[in-house]
Amino acid sequence: MPLDTKSVCDKKVFESIYNDHSKTLRNFIYYKCGDVQQAEDVVQEAFIKLWKNCAKVFVEKAKSFLYTVANNTFLNEVAHKKVVLQHQKSIKNNSTSETPEFILEEKEFMMKLKNAIADLPEKQREVFLLSRIDNKKYSEIAEITGITIKAVEKRMSQALIVLRKKIGKI
Amino acid sequence: MEEKYIDDAFLARWVAGELTPEELDAFQNSKDYLEFKRINDGAQILEAPKFDQQASFIRLQDELSGETQDAKIVKIIPRWIYSVAATVVVAAGIFFFLNNSSSSFETGFGEQKTVTLPDNSKVYLNAKSTLAFNKRDWESNRILKFSGEAFFDVEKGTSFKVVTNQGVIEVLGTEFNVITGEKFFEVRCHEGKVRVSNNSDENLATLTQGKAVRMHDNKEENWNFNQEKPTWIKGESSFTKTPLKQVIKTLEGRYDVVFDTKTIDLNRRFTGSFTHKDFNLALKTVFTPLNISYSKKGKMIYLKGKN
Repeated sequence: MPLDTKSVCDKKVFESIYNDHSKTLRNFIYYKCGDVQQAEDVVQEAFIKLWKNCAKVFVEKAKSFLYTVANNTFLNEVAHKKVVLQHQKSIKNNSTSETPEFILEEKEFMMKLKNAIADLPEKQREVFLLSRIDNKKYSEIAEITGITIKAVEKRMSQALIVLRKKIGKI
Repeated sequence: MEEKYIDDAFLARWVAGELTPEELDAFQNSKDYLEFKRINDGAQILEAPKFDQQASFIRLQDELSGETQDAKIVKIIPRWIYSVAATVVVAAGIFFFLNNSSSSFETGFGEQKTVTLPDNSKVYLNAKSTLAFNKRDWESNRILKFSGEAFFDVEKGTSFKVVTNQGVIEVLGTEFNVITGEKFFEVRCHEGKVRVSNNSDENLATLTQGKAVRMHDNKEENWNFNQEKPTWIKGESSFTKTPLKQVIKTLEGRYDVVFDTKTIDLNRRFTGSFTHKDFNLALKTVFTPLNISYSKKGKMIYLKGKN
């Protein structure tokens, strides 16, 4: 067995783990519950547990430890409310010289899309948003959610089909 | 239509760009393609709410400082270094103390203090403020360094100067109230006459009784008021079209709390007052009229706009 000198108890290592994973972890829980505050509390709690158990967790297992703890905390504590996802208002502007009608129509479409995403079943929503907002590969999403890549792909496809049905003809 | 995608992962593979050229070609020609493409494009310009990684790491460290680890921590810095460092600090402190006749005063959260200067002028310090001056040549050189909020009651005499990070106030004998903050500087003249200038020594205003001036984000505002003494001396802070940021700072200094203001507009203005005696009432009087809801968790107050 190779002797790994890195330890989660080392403050530097702990901080780099935090920097690598806290954002996606926050988003992951946020996509489930739609409450930024709650999501951030869950993340804090997960990192506190990691710190307490730092002697027992190998560095390379820290990520899955965090996701498992966060997911359990979420399931235990967070009341399942209707999800209202608040996306940041500053939507990147990727086209220029639009007519007012186009802008209005685009706004309406984005509203519909947001509502439809919020209405997705939790399992489809987390996969869909981790892929589309956080740009995570299916393999990584599989690791985060603890399901197989095949299952991730299936949920992704279902999410798209459901969204299209909800939004309907453009 | 779904029947066409016999393969469960077809759309997922399309999103990930993993379709074969033939598959992609066929899909692009189907009538559903544009709708799926629009959903996919739209989803990609969404963003999750901002996550302030640094701030939340600091919060985490705060919480961790009370936690114990299972592992034993090996100290890299030997203990005796700390004693040496402490000795040096104390020695330096004594040295400066003996060498300097300057006096300084500071108020903590929720604290108020009255400082009498050598010439009997009085300074009423509000919460979270600092004041420093040189005792030795006070009579010939009345200069004060100051930050926070205070009410000055100045005896007649030579020129009296209050130097702050945001600007300078110069008087001959009068009563006035000063507030400094981040990009915020407010002076109200309660009696007599004061001259206010900024740090590059440009004259901002000469105030007479009942006049006030404010610099906020480099913009100047003037108004009149009608009070003999600032209300905060009698247990109430009041504001006239003051930026919300400054109001919140005053609340924080008064009640030793921290506000989370991520979701609200700090440039909104507030006119009104809050009491120093009842925190809940103070929260209610400030935020209810602004249509902002608040929730408490320990020392943190989370603010949320209602629409």
